Amino acid sequence: MPFQRYLLGLGFLSPALLVLAGLFLMPVALTGIIAFTNMSISTGVSGGAHVITGNLLTGLRDDGVEPAALDRLAETVFEVTPEALARARAAGVDPAFVADIEERLVGRRFTDGRAFERELKGLPHRPRAIRDLKVAADLFGASILNTRFADAAAARQAVVGVLPDAPEATVDRIVAASYTGWQWTTGNFARLLSSPDTLRLIVNTVFYVAATLSFTVFVGLFLAIGTFYLPPATAGVFSVLWLLPRLTPVVLYAVMWKWFTWEGGFVYTAAEALGLPAFNYMKGSVPTAWTIVILVNGFIGASFSMILFSSALKAIPIQQLWASEVDGASRWQQVRYIVLPQLRWPILFVVSYQTLSLLSSYQEIWLTTNGGPGRTTSVWALESFNTALNNYTGDLQYGLGAAMAVMLVVVGVTLSVIYLRLFRFDDLVGRPKIEF
Amino acid sequence: MRLTICDFTKTFDRTTVIKDMNLVVEDGEMLALLGPSGCGKSTTLFAVAGIHRVDGGAILFGKRDVSHLPSQKRNVGVVFQNYALYPHMTVFDNIAFPLTIRREGKADIDRKVRAIAELAHIGDLLARRPSQLSGGQQQRVALARALVRQPDVLLLDEPLANLDARLRLEMRSEIRRIQMETGITSILVTHDQVEAMSMCDRIAIMDQGAIRQVATPSEMYRQPASRFVAGFLGNPPIVFLDGEVTGDGGFASRGVSLPLPGRLRHLEAGRPISLGIRPEHVGTSGGARVSGQVVFVEPQGRETLFDIELEGGAILRSIQPAGDDARVGDRVDWAVDSDRLLVFDRHGNAV
Ligand SMILES: Nc1ncnc2c1ncn2[C@@H]1O[C@H](COP(=O)(O)OP(=O)(O)OP(=O)(O)O)[C@@H](O)[C@H]1O
Ligand SMILES: [Mg+2]
Repeated sequence: MPFQRYLLGLGFLSPALLVLAGLFLMPVALTGIIAFTNMSISTGVSGGAHVITGNLLTGLRDDGVEPAALDRLAETVFEVTPEALARARAAGVDPAFVADIEERLVGRRFTDGRAFERELKGLPHRPRAIRDLKVAADLFGASILNTRFADAAAARQAVVGVLPDAPEATVDRIVAASYTGWQWTTGNFARLLSSPDTLRLIVNTVFYVAATLSFTVFVGLFLAIGTFYLPPATAGVFSVLWLLPRLTPVVLYAVMWKWFTWEGGFVYTAAEALGLPAFNYMKGSVPTAWTIVILVNGFIGASFSMILFSSALKAIPIQQLWASEVDGASRWQQVRYIVLPQLRWPILFVVSYQTLSLLSSYQEIWLTTNGGPGRTTSVWALESFNTALNNYTGDLQYGLGAAMAVMLVVVGVTLSVIYLRLFRFDDLVGRPKIEF
Repeated sequence: MRLTICDFTKTFDRTTVIKDMNLVVEDGEMLALLGPSGCGKSTTLFAVAGIHRVDGGAILFGKRDVSHLPSQKRNVGVVFQNYALYPHMTVFDNIAFPLTIRREGKADIDRKVRAIAELAHIGDLLARRPSQLSGGQQQRVALARALVRQPDVLLLDEPLANLDARLRLEMRSEIRRIQMETGITSILVTHDQVEAMSMCDRIAIMDQGAIRQVATPSEMYRQPASRFVAGFLGNPPIVFLDGEVTGDGGFASRGVSLPLPGRLRHLEAGRPISLGIRPEHVGTSGGARVSGQVVFVEPQGRETLFDIELEGGAILRSIQPAGDDARVGDRVDWAVDSDRLLVFDRHGNAV
């Protein structure tokens, strides 16, 4: 019986488990996996073929592969084979000329295009125009460069064909490098560690999070405490007004900020009227762009923290406030010694929760400055998103983007642990009120 | 310091809760503000503390008019009903708070806090948080915090309401001891008459926002100024009989007739009065007698409480030293101490 009951329970749970696995665990696990590959739009996400490209050769030369061998790979070889002759006929080259070639040169192989052309010029039915001759000659040329080989064996055969006496190791290296599908690698992380862009992004992100968070906490506290001391009706009006950023759909909110700051917008017009420099404050200069980014995010955070702080404030018994006044505390001392200490837990919550959500949120920046001007207001999460999923050059680097996302998660988890230690979380939560 | 409340009026949202109240608390005196729930005791206390603004009249500490001073400047100590300790501070910091706010020296604070903690018997609890204290200990901390800066006036708002019966008894004498030792003018708000009578020099009885009588506990018990006061004090409560004065200086009502106390024999016949009979004046000694049937018996340990139904249907209450002399249904003929009867006129005022 109990066993059947377990099964029944599992049966009921299974949709939730499936959703959890499918929507939550899978993406996280996949991101972790993809971070250790070099997947990109050019490798695709399934398998690949082997192609030796000019870029590949340059790369190999930089990596110290013998240049002579690489030069040979880049060369075009002209060979008069039955297939090449058929190709020439099909391409509409004068049949008499093709017949000449077949008769006199079949089986010959030239590594130098000029020499082959010279040979052709000596044939009786050669075309008048030099251009036609070159076109015909090209039809006999074949290069290992940019040829697709379905698998490693075919690629190896071709490479060995060109470099019959190259050492085995060199051949292996060339074949391996020519693979166009994705591969396992830790290169993403190495690249992130060594790239100078990384440091700038980190500085940006730290600045963004710290500034927005300070705004969120201080403005939230100010509003909560301010409305706490206001008459209830006035306080209610203010609370609702300050909640609007949180209540407005994010796209609409971003669009409103655009209207507000763009050329001809409110800020622009007001600045013009006041004789201040009038320009697109959202994208026109780095300091104003940062200000807007911080305000856009800060207002959302502030209305969130205001609600939290307000409800925590209401939980303080009024007699405590009376007692502190009787004890001689001024308004400010009351806030400093009685109110703020009792807001420690909600402040900790806002700081940790908002740090994590700011670290991983980019939508507001994306919708407003989009990291501009240039990439001055870009942050880690936005860059990760752009790298992996939203690149206007179309060169989406899934692996690198995932690696950035993974690092963000690692930083987030580390920060949460530090926060909990720093604010003595267990001390705050205390022992359970009910003993088991 | 003498505390004077003069024509004090308090209005909340156009409802006048207290109107033209007058009260004087003498220097070093402990006065109980006693009254039923909602009569305005806390309101009065908070007005003295400066927590509530005064809508009319004046409050004087000594000769100083403090009516319009904020509570920060009044130098009063308040113990709130729920103690209102600061949960995030240790006991030491709680008690030290009024001194810290005044930026007194560290050594001074330490000395004063320890002295007052000794006085309140909480010297070994200074490192704890309020949540780690029992109700009685929290109560002492609140008291210590109110006393530490030597207030001109100490205000206690039902400080014992949250304690159990035993602890209440203990804290009653503790608070009184500390108040006497410090000699601070105090007001104790309570709706518990025993508390008021046992702890205070004088009692002010309040009802519906007005002071009904101010007197020492025994005076108030023996000579209540009104039917309300007589009814409020005394446990088990007094019984009232409505009737009128008879020709021979007696009282008659629904088949009961009793002689009036000697000093009231001269009242003119036919005047409607009501008689207050305390249970302890029935069934023990006295010149008059009543007879009736026992309808209820409540043993209370040392004493037993009886309800007897007289012929006319009126019920008298009697409390007597325990014994098993009467049971429910018994007919009894008991003495009444007619000289101790209380007499009130039609408006409830003592005659
Ligand atoms: N802030 C307020 N706003 C409106 N009415 C109030 C307010 N505070 C008290 N009152 C009213 O004033 C009256 C007196 O209140 P108060 O708190 O002084 O009573 P109390 O005598 O202390 O009663 P209790 O023994 O129950 O504490 C009550 O009728 C109460 O409803
Ligand atoms: Mg009260």
